Amino acid sequence: MRHAFQPLPGQVGRARPVVDLVVEGLDVAPQACLIDTGATEIRLGRHVAEIVGLDLDKAVVDETVVGGLRTTASGVTAELSLRQGRSSHTWSPTVYFCDPWPWAFGLLGLSGLDPFLLTINAYDEWSELRPRHG
Amino acid sequence: MQRQIGETVSETIRNVNVAGRAFELRASQVERLMRRVLPEPLKDHFVVVGRRRYPPKQVLGEVTGLDRAEFTTHHARRILTGLGFVAGRRSAEPTGRGFAAPPPGRRDSAASRPSAETLEPFVGQWVATKGPEVLVAAPEPKTVVGWLSEHGLKADSMFRVPADELEASGLAPR
Repeated sequence: MRHAFQPLPGQVGRARPVVDLVVEGLDVAPQACLIDTGATEIRLGRHVAEIVGLDLDKAVVDETVVGGLRTTASGVTAELSLRQGRSSHTWSPTVYFCDPWPWAFGLLGLSGLDPFLLTINAYDEWSELRPRHG
Repeated sequence: MQRQIGETVSETIRNVNVAGRAFELRASQVERLMRRVLPEPLKDHFVVVGRRRYPPKQVLGEVTGLDRAEFTTHHARRILTGLGFVAGRRSAEPTGRGFAAPPPGRRDSAASRPSAETLEPFVGQWVATKGPEVLVAAPEPKTVVGWLSEHGLKADSMFRVPADELEASGLAPR
C-alpha cells in the first residue's frame, strides 16, 4: 500500500509519511499516525483506547518521555488495520496508549512496522508498506 | 433592519415569514443557538454560522422550531444570508468573509488532508476529515465518533487540531 506524504495535522510546510490507522475496527475515524523509524513503539493518545472501549486495567504501565514530555504509557494488544482502497492489512501488536498526549497524531514506531517492508521515497513524497507474507 | 445596541455594537434583525408564521430573527440569536448544535452532513448548499458550515435548513429549523419540510433550502438560505451569514455551495468556494483559499500544496498529497488554514477555526477541537474537508468538529473525540456513526459517515482521519507548534510537530523536529 503506497501512501502519499501528507502534512501533519494543522501544519504547513513539507509533507511527511503519515498514515491513517483503524484501531480496533473503528473505521469511521482512523487515527492519523506519523511513521517514525526513530521510535520503537506504537503510541497513541489514551482517548483512543477510551473511544474503542479497550480495557487498560491489565495494561503494562510505563512512565516514559516522548518529545520532552513525561507521559504514562499503557501497553495492550490492539488490532490495527491499514487500509487503502480495497487493500487492507490487519495485525495485532502492542500499542501504548499515553496520557497526557498533547500531539495531534500518533506514532507508528518500529514495532508497528514489523509486519511490513517499508519503503520511503522522500523525493517523490510517498511511503509504501508492503505486508510480509509467510 | 439594522438596530444599534449601545454605541458600538450593531445587530442585523429580520422579520421573516416562514410557512405562514412570522418570526423576528437576530443574527446573534442564531449564532448562540447553533453554538450547541453540531452541523449535519452537507449536501450542496451551506451557510457559515460561528465559523462552521451548516445545511441552511438545519439552521432555520433550529431557530424557528419548524419542521424542515415546511420550507425549502433556498428559502432558508435567503433568510440566513439576509441576516448576514455567508452562504456557499460545496462545489464552489463561498464568497464573503472568513474564507481564504488553501495554500498550494507541494505535491498533490496536500489536497488529501485539510490545509492548516482550513483547520484554523477548529484549534483545540477534535475533527474528522475526509479529503480536504472537515466533516465535523467537537470538543470531545467521543462526540466526533458518535456523530460519524449517527450519520453513517466514514472519515479519512480523526485528530485534535493542534494549538501550537509543539502539538503540531512535537517530537518530529524539522
